Amino acid sequence: MKKFLNSFAGFLPLGVLWLGPLLAGLLAVLYGAFDGEAWLTLFEHPQLWPALALSIGTGTLSLIISALLAFWIVAGLYGGKLWADTSSLMGGFLSLPHLAFAIGLGFLITPSGFLARIIGSIAGWAVPPQWVTTQDPYGLSLVAVLVLKEVPFLIWLISALLARPDISQTLKGHFRVSQSLGHGGASVWLRVFIPQILPRLKWPLLIVWFYGASVVDVALAIGPTQPPPLSVIIWSDLNNADPAFNARGTAGALFLTAALIALALVWLVLKRIFLPAIWKFFTRGPSRRRTPTITSGMLLLIFCAIYAMVFVVLCIMSIGTLWPYPNLFPSEVRWSAWQQFVMSPAPLLNSLSLALASTLAALGLAVFWLETVPEKLDAALLVFAIMAIALPSLLVADGQYLAFLRVGLNGTWIGVFLAHLTPVFAYVFIVLKGPYRAFDPRYRSVSLGLNADPMRFWSAVKLGMMKPALAAAAAVGIGVSIAQYVPTQLIASGRLTTLPIEAVTLASGGSRPLMAVFALMLAVVPAIAFLVAARVGRKPL
Amino acid sequence: MKFSRRDLVKAAGAAALLPLFPNAGFAADWAALEAQAKGQVVYFNAWAGSEPINAYIAWAAEQVKARYGVTLEHVKIADAAEVVRRVRDEVKAGKAGGSADLVWINGENFRAMKAEKLLFGPFAHELPNFKYVDTEGKPTTLIDFAEATDGLESPWGMAQLTFFGDGAKISAPPKSMDELVAFAKANPGRVTYPAPPDFHGTTFVKQALYESIADQGLLPLPAKDDEFPRAVAPLFDLLDSLHPHLWRKGQQFPQSQAQIKQMLADGELLMALTFNPNEPANLVASGQLPGTTVAWQHRAGTIGNTHFVAIPINSKAAAGAQVVANFLLSPEAQGRKADLKIWGDPTVLATAKLSADEARFFATSVVSGSVTEPAPALPEPHGSWVALLETAWLESYGT
Amino acid sequence: MTLLLENISLTIGDVLLVKSFTITIEAGEIVTLMGPSGSGKSSLLAYIAGDLSPPMYGNGHVTLDGVDLIYVPAERRQVGRLFQDDLLFPHLTVGENLLFGVGRGSLKKRQHLVTEALASAQLDGIENRMPDTLSNGQKSRVALFRALMAKPHAMLLDEPFSKLDAELRHTIRNYVFAHLRERNIPTLLVTHDREDAPAGGRIFRINSKGELHLA
Repeated sequence: MKKFLNSFAGFLPLGVLWLGPLLAGLLAVLYGAFDGEAWLTLFEHPQLWPALALSIGTGTLSLIISALLAFWIVAGLYGGKLWADTSSLMGGFLSLPHLAFAIGLGFLITPSGFLARIIGSIAGWAVPPQWVTTQDPYGLSLVAVLVLKEVPFLIWLISALLARPDISQTLKGHFRVSQSLGHGGASVWLRVFIPQILPRLKWPLLIVWFYGASVVDVALAIGPTQPPPLSVIIWSDLNNADPAFNARGTAGALFLTAALIALALVWLVLKRIFLPAIWKFFTRGPSRRRTPTITSGMLLLIFCAIYAMVFVVLCIMSIGTLWPYPNLFPSEVRWSAWQQFVMSPAPLLNSLSLALASTLAALGLAVFWLETVPEKLDAALLVFAIMAIALPSLLVADGQYLAFLRVGLNGTWIGVFLAHLTPVFAYVFIVLKGPYRAFDPRYRSVSLGLNADPMRFWSAVKLGMMKPALAAAAAVGIGVSIAQYVPTQLIASGRLTTLPIEAVTLASGGSRPLMAVFALMLAVVPAIAFLVAARVGRKPL
Repeated sequence: MKFSRRDLVKAAGAAALLPLFPNAGFAADWAALEAQAKGQVVYFNAWAGSEPINAYIAWAAEQVKARYGVTLEHVKIADAAEVVRRVRDEVKAGKAGGSADLVWINGENFRAMKAEKLLFGPFAHELPNFKYVDTEGKPTTLIDFAEATDGLESPWGMAQLTFFGDGAKISAPPKSMDELVAFAKANPGRVTYPAPPDFHGTTFVKQALYESIADQGLLPLPAKDDEFPRAVAPLFDLLDSLHPHLWRKGQQFPQSQAQIKQMLADGELLMALTFNPNEPANLVASGQLPGTTVAWQHRAGTIGNTHFVAIPINSKAAAGAQVVANFLLSPEAQGRKADLKIWGDPTVLATAKLSADEARFFATSVVSGSVTEPAPALPEPHGSWVALLETAWLESYGT
Repeated sequence: MTLLLENISLTIGDVLLVKSFTITIEAGEIVTLMGPSGSGKSSLLAYIAGDLSPPMYGNGHVTLDGVDLIYVPAERRQVGRLFQDDLLFPHLTVGENLLFGVGRGSLKKRQHLVTEALASAQLDGIENRMPDTLSNGQKSRVALFRALMAKPHAMLLDEPFSKLDAELRHTIRNYVFAHLRERNIPTLLVTHDREDAPAGGRIFRINSKGELHLA
């Protein structure tokens, strides 16, 4: 009984702050979807099927390309001189929110953008070319943004896996054995390493897949318009004044989610069918092909170059008031956008307060769970955590909007905080779980043997040793919270404005310098968090 | 501002609907109201995509604070529909103190709030400064699309579809849809409009409907499903002939007017469109467009309307909101708003009837980028046309 | 200093794992306990230290210097422990590790204790280094001194030499035993390697029935 109470204590804060709001949201969206009229109008929408195809197409394409490039780069660089830098670099790239990146990349590749100006100034183009770059009908620019953002995410995850002593030991052994059996590096990766790593990445890959197929803010900034991805149609329905449209939006969010889950199930079936062919490939015999070190290095260089250019372009954009084509630099430079940003700091302050509060709460909840609940229950919590991340935020946030309506939480800071906590806790828990559960309990015995009471052991030893993991989890939490657009917009109901809200509003309505300022600030806050975390992680104090 | 999508217009006899508003006993009531307003916080929910608008509202906030002790908080929103939805939800949930006290609104959003009794009032005609409003010359100050305002919203500014571009690159601006088709043919890929249901896109299609329909007399009447295809056939012929010459060959459309504006500034497009006739001159003044910019309207007239401020029924600060609405109608506030260097939103007042002292707030000099030959404002077609038009457009060009 | 283990037994759930036994370990004596893995050796140490966790339960009295430890919390028992791994706290320097179990005192005095300990361990000048920069031999010695500096009245060693290579193992073993004897600390050593037992010391074995015999 005491044991039960103990566990229950672990559930209580989590149930109130996290699991409750998450489940309430999911129930509310299901309840809200009991509206035949909404489904009828949804299926009558002339753009429904092409938009769905576009959503699934961009999501799937970005997943495949991201995974290929990530493994290509890792295979070429793992164990080499550049490897340590690569993995920490990817952590840095990771901190840049998708939206900020999309805004910067948009201005890089648009027909009157930075690249066109560079080429145009050499080729002597008087007017911008008629490239079909951003908002291309097939969503390729959207795919490009997703790939450029997801590859660092995947590499970061793979490098975290490879950094685990147990895994790196095993793989090292497998490498030697495979080599002695006549396999070159490329063959070892394809036939031995990737098959072992992929299953461990199944949830992140699913998250990347669903995210790409349901993203709203990036699609608004750079995605195609006729038809737009289904997420954009749902989004405009949810924000419509007419409740009938809202209901159609709810139905649409559920429809998109169902389609994605169905697709994932289809993939499971397909995998079965493909398995014999895959086995045949694994056992085809040795190939002496070596790992692609040079192309991997070049890919890495291209990534760095694009990220650097996006950053530079955003900086110039933020001060360039009049910047007509084909000038490489603005003909008029003003700091007015920065001034304006400083004069009205509410979006930054709101973003910061939400990020810090949700991250601290998430850390507290996660540590409390990990300290009080037996490890065997982690798996159950993990299912909900993955749901909170992988399910389209359109669905979860719309559900939470509908649920919060009943308790008057919409438009309040607490409501937005809870909506942020939903994904933030999920990420923080996932990041923290591994290191925390891997903690060697004998440290506790040693501490007790050294006359340290349990409280001292916990504060001086355990938290001290967990500091890098806690710092990394905090950085991830802050990054996740800062980037939240959909839930903030819905739950804040205009009462609270944050960095991404302003950035999207500006992207739809005007001032390019101000938009660039917000994109930069969106990037800076998580970047600082990651730098601090990396410092704490490197040199424990 | 994202206005509304489903617009209603009963153009005829707008002035005749002017209600009889009381003039007596007014000052005393108003003084009491001002006293009540003191110390209130007014949450003004207004679209905030543009620096000049935000700066103007910030100025207004300073003024009402100093003069009436009312704190005006600008709640920046992307779409007025958000507010409608929020107020509805709050009222439904029985929330007494609502989150919005003043809303920038018109058209469909107003019609929805009026129909659902979500608005405070009538109050507009009791505002002391309402007497300056040009209800005769600008009948849309009383008829919001097709809906009588009934004093539930107070006029704030005027809008009319206007085109603009660089005079150095355009010798003869196209002043009708037919001329626009010829212009696009001569300059392939350099003209476009936002895709409906974007507000500007829908307005452009309505404008094309006006200029192509055989019988303009149908437009103020509800659209009939069976007659609709025949009525819009010339419209789609017109768009069919226009689209192949548009940006991206009419396969893709920009998402917003703002994007088109940016593409004009970048030289990707030759012309842009706006619903604010003063916007081009304003962009010149703020250095975002060159001084050679010209603005024009179609000879036979373009679609126009008025935008308003309204007070939600569950406002916590209705007195303060009325004080703000009244201030926004003052010659000083209206003159400043119309100033191209500030915002450049056309006034709803009858400037000709103002005394010299009141008129001094209005700038008189002509600046580059302003409309040189104003055309008549055409009333919006009956709201029932819009949904049909948007669906038909999406079916023809949206996939 | 004497460690008295009186009628000690060990159960896992309802199953008796180690049957009741009694041993007295005199000051400076090092008693060795051997047995197959899973026989409950390490759990016995945990019980003595007051650190046994379910589903294992212990019974019997542990008396140190005449004090019954059963109701004394683990951190007040003054029973030091060494494990297979050095378990130095990776986020603390060598000096901070050494001082972890030392009671409060002036900075100067504490500093002096560290210098003295490192000198006697022949590890001068490493106090500001992080544990992961040390060699295995250095780590073992720091771990020992960390335990000794907490002034334990008894020591429990859980296969502390098993991960060291043969040469180092021999050196460290003698080194640890010498220091424990020098301080008159009663010590219980658990190992599965007879080599690790000090020459001439008493050796107990747990057989498959859970009975303890003097070997």
